[in-house]
Amino acid sequence: MSENVLKIENLTMQFGGVVAVNDLSMEINKGEIVALIGPNGAGKTTAFNCVTAVYEPTNGQILFNGKPIAQNHPNGKMKKLYAGSDPEKYAGKVLRHTPDQITKLGIARTFQNIRLFGGMTVFENVLTAMHLRRTSNVFTATLRLNAKEEKKMREEALRLLQVVGLDDLCDETATSLPYGKQRLLEIARALATNPTLLLLDEPAAGMNPQETDELSVFIRRIKEQFDLTIFIIEHHMNLVMEISDRIYVIDFGKMIASGTPAEIQNNPAVIAAYLGGDEE
Amino acid sequence: MKKQAMLGKKKLDAGMVITGLIILAVYAAVFILEQIMPSTSMLFTVLKKGATYALVAVSMNLLNGFTGIFSLGQAGFMLIGAYTFAIFTIPMESRAAVYQYYNGGILGFSLPVIPALILAGLAAAFFAFLIGLPVLRLKSDYLAIATLGFAEIMRAIFQWDKLGPLTNGSNMLHTFPNFNSFNIKNAAGETTVYLSTLIPFLIAGVCIALIVLLINSSYGRALRAIKDDEIAAEAMGVNLFHHKQLSFCISSFFAGIGGAMLAMYACTVQAKSFTTAMTYEILLIVVIGGIGSISGSCISSFLFVACSEWWLRFLDEKQVIGTFEVPLLRNGFRLVVFSIIIMIVVLFFRQGIMGTKELPDLFRRRPKTASQEAIK
Amino acid sequence: MKNVLPYLLSGISVGGQYALIAIGYTMVYGILRLINFAHGDVFMVAGILMVYISASGMPIWLAIPLTLLISVLIGFTIERVAYKPLRTAPRMSVMISAIGVSYLLQNLVLYVTGGLNKVYPTIPFISDSVTLTIFGATMTTKMVTVITPFLTIILVVALVWLINHTKIGMAMRAVSKDFETSQLMGIKINSVISTTFIIGSFLAAVGSMLYFTNYPSVIQTSGSMPGLKAFVAAVFGGIGSIPGAVIGAFIIGICENIIKGLDLILIKSGLTKKMMGLTTFSDAFTFALLIVILVVKPTGLFGEKMTDKV
Repeated sequence: MSENVLKIENLTMQFGGVVAVNDLSMEINKGEIVALIGPNGAGKTTAFNCVTAVYEPTNGQILFNGKPIAQNHPNGKMKKLYAGSDPEKYAGKVLRHTPDQITKLGIARTFQNIRLFGGMTVFENVLTAMHLRRTSNVFTATLRLNAKEEKKMREEALRLLQVVGLDDLCDETATSLPYGKQRLLEIARALATNPTLLLLDEPAAGMNPQETDELSVFIRRIKEQFDLTIFIIEHHMNLVMEISDRIYVIDFGKMIASGTPAEIQNNPAVIAAYLGGDEE
Repeated sequence: MKKQAMLGKKKLDAGMVITGLIILAVYAAVFILEQIMPSTSMLFTVLKKGATYALVAVSMNLLNGFTGIFSLGQAGFMLIGAYTFAIFTIPMESRAAVYQYYNGGILGFSLPVIPALILAGLAAAFFAFLIGLPVLRLKSDYLAIATLGFAEIMRAIFQWDKLGPLTNGSNMLHTFPNFNSFNIKNAAGETTVYLSTLIPFLIAGVCIALIVLLINSSYGRALRAIKDDEIAAEAMGVNLFHHKQLSFCISSFFAGIGGAMLAMYACTVQAKSFTTAMTYEILLIVVIGGIGSISGSCISSFLFVACSEWWLRFLDEKQVIGTFEVPLLRNGFRLVVFSIIIMIVVLFFRQGIMGTKELPDLFRRRPKTASQEAIK
Repeated sequence: MKNVLPYLLSGISVGGQYALIAIGYTMVYGILRLINFAHGDVFMVAGILMVYISASGMPIWLAIPLTLLISVLIGFTIERVAYKPLRTAPRMSVMISAIGVSYLLQNLVLYVTGGLNKVYPTIPFISDSVTLTIFGATMTTKMVTVITPFLTIILVVALVWLINHTKIGMAMRAVSKDFETSQLMGIKINSVISTTFIIGSFLAAVGSMLYFTNYPSVIQTSGSMPGLKAFVAAVFGGIGSIPGAVIGAFIIGICENIIKGLDLILIKSGLTKKMMGLTTFSDAFTFALLIVILVVKPTGLFGEKMTDKV
C-alpha cells in the first residue's frame, strides 16, 4: 500500500452564491503524478488555492502526509484561528495556515498566469525561494555572518537552474524571458523551496507542441530526481494522458470521473463535459 | 567567470571601485571644505540637512521602493526619534530652563549622543512594531492613510499637556547637543577642527550602508519579492506579515535616527513641525531620486535641499538685470517654481534621476547586468 | 445633555461640511481608485478665491457663483493635467502626482497671499447670529451651523438622484464597477471622470463657504486637516459609497467636537475635577477611529469587498 501524500475530503469552496468547488474528495499517493482536468471555470485552480491556503475552504478537510492542513470546525462554523506550523497540536480545531506555512510544510506550486518576481533576475527568483530554509536572522544576514549559508544557497540555485536549463540566462530579468522559459523558471523556483509535493497549474499553457513534448519528459525527470509527488492541472490532453498515473475530472466544481488515463478517455461523462453533450 | 561571481565570491568590478572612490572623495571634500570655508556658508547648511534627509529618504525607500508598502508615516517616526533624542540628551543643568513649566521634567539623567541616537531609533521601531500589528494587514491606499493618521496621532500625543514632564507639552525642547557640539575646540574655546558636517555624513553613511547590506541580503530579496508579487512571495514561503513588519520596523528605526539628526540640525524640537507636509517632502525626494534606488534617494536629497534652501533663493528676492526688473519674483516664488519642477518630474520623468539603478551601474559597460548581484 | 448640546450642534454642522468634501474623495476613489490628496487643497483654494473675489468689490451674489465656477475649473484642470496622463501608470504614481498637486496648490497660495492669514468675507444671512432654544437650553450660534446639515442633505439627495437617474450617473456607476469594460461599452471615460471631478470640486467649494464662515481666516494649510478628515470619513463610511461618506462625516464631525469640549463637559457634569487637556486629541481621535475601523472592517460601513484573483 502506498501512503497518501495529499488527501482532500469533501472540500467545498463558496464565493458568495457561487460554489466553485463542490464536495470534492480525492487522494494522491506518494510518487504519483495525478492530473486534475476539467473545462474552463470548473474550479481546478480554486482547488489548488484551497490546498495552498490562498483560500479558506468553506467546508471539508485537507490532509498532507496524514496531518490536517485545513479543516472545518466540528460545529460547522468556520472561525479564523492561527494554527501555527504544528497541525497536530491543534487537532480537532479549525485549522488555518498561511500560504507560506504550507510551502514550509513541503507543498510548492506554480501559477496559471505566471507570477514571477518581475523586478528580479532569473537567478534571484530562484534564490528568493530558498529564503524559507534559512537559518540566518535579519542581523546575521545584514552583517554577512551567514556567508556559508548564502554560498550554499547560491550553489543550489545555480544547480536548479541547470536542471531546468536556464543557467546561462541567470542575469536576465525574469520577465524578459520567453513564455515557455518563464514557466520553466517558475518550476525551478518552486523546486527551490524543497517540496515533496509539487502543484503545477497549467505548466504547458502557451507552449508550442515541441516545448510541450519536452515538458512531459522534463516533469518525469524532476519527479525522479527530486523524489516528488506531482499534482497537475493541464489542458493539453496529450501531456496529461502521457504523464499521469491517475486523472480526476471536475466540472462545475463537482467531480465527474476519476481513473487511469485509459479509463478517462472512454468515460462518457467526461466526453459530455468537454464536448457539451446533452444535459438531462 | 560569470558563474563564479554569482556563487558569492566577492568580485569587485570597476563600477563598485569607482563608486567607492566617489564616496571617499565626497567625505574627504566635506572634511576639507569645512576646515577652509567659513562655517556660516550655506553649503554646510545644505550638506547637514541633505545628509539627514538622505537617511530618512533611504529609510522610506526601503518601505516604498523595496517592500512595496506605501507608508506615509515617516514624519511620525521622525518625531518619535527627535523627541527621544532630545529628551535623553538635554544636560541636567539645562533641564530646569527647558522644562520651566514642568518643574524641570521627570528625567533624572541624560545620555551621551550615540546611545541616545540608538535609543531614538529603537523608540521609533517600537512604535512601528505596535502600529504595524494592525496596519500592515491593510491594502496599499488604506495603509497609506492609516500610517498618515498614525503620524498625526503621534503629533497630538507628544503635545499633550499631561505628558509635559517628559515631552515639555507643546513647548520647544532645546539646548541638547547639536552638530556643532562635535567640533573640536582648544583650551581657549576656538574651534580647531570642524566636524559639524562630517559627523552627520558619518551617521547617515553608516545607517545607509546597513540598509544597502540588508537590501542585498536574503531578507532584502524576500522584501523585493513581496514588492513584485505578494501572492507569489507567499507561495514561495515568505511570511508576508513577518517580513513587512520587519521592513516597517527597520525603516522606522532609521527614520527615528533621521529624526534625531534633524533635531541636531535644527537645535530645537517641537511636535508641530513634524507635519504631513514633511512626509510628502520626503516622498517627493524618493520619487525624484527614483523609487527603488538608494543612490537616487541620496542624490535627490541633496538636490532637493540645495534647491529649496539655497539655489532657488534668488527667486524670492527682487532681481534687476540692467534696468529690467524681473517680474513675479517675491517671497514664495521659489516654492512655486520648485513645486512645478516636481510636478514635471512626477508627470514626465517618472523614473526619477536613477530609476531603479544604483551608482555602480552607471559605470558598468552592460547596464542590464544584474545590478544588485554584483554589489553582493 | 445641556452641556453636550452646543458641541453636538457644531459637530453636526462641521460634519455636514466634511460630508461635502468627503463626497469628492469617495467619488474619485470609486472611479479612479485614487486618493485625491489635492482635494483638500481645492477646498482651501475655494476659500482663498472667495477672499480675493469679494475683496475686489464684487457683490456677494456674483462672488459666490464665480468662486464656485473657478473652483470647478481648477478641479477639472487638475484632473486633465496631473491625473489623465498617468491613467496607465501604477497607482502609486498617480497618488504621488496628487501629493505633488497638493504641494503646488499650497505653494501657489503661499506665494499669492504671502503666507498671511486672509480674513474670510462675511456672507450675509449665513453669518447672522441666531438664538436657538432646544430642550430648554438656549444658545447663540451662526446661521450657518443651522443651515449646513440641511443644505448638505439637499445636495446629497440631488447627487444621489443624479447618479441613479441620469445617463451620466449611470455611466459613473458603470465606470466605478469596471473601468475597462465600460470603456469597451463605449462610455467616454474621460468625460465621466471630468464630471466626477467637477461635482467633487463644486461640493468642496460649497463646503468651503460654509466651513470658513465659522472660522476667522484662511491660510494655505487650511485645507489639509479638513481634507484628511473628510477622507477618513469617506473610508469610515466605506469608500466609494456616497451615503457612507456622509454618515461617516457626520459621525466624525460630532465626535471631534464633543472631544473638543470633553473637558468642560466632564467638569460641568461633575465627573472630573481638573482639565485633562483632551482637546489636543480632537484631531488625533479621527485618525484613531480610522485605524480602528480599518482593522475591524477594512471596507468601512458600507463598502464592498473585493477579492484578488490568483
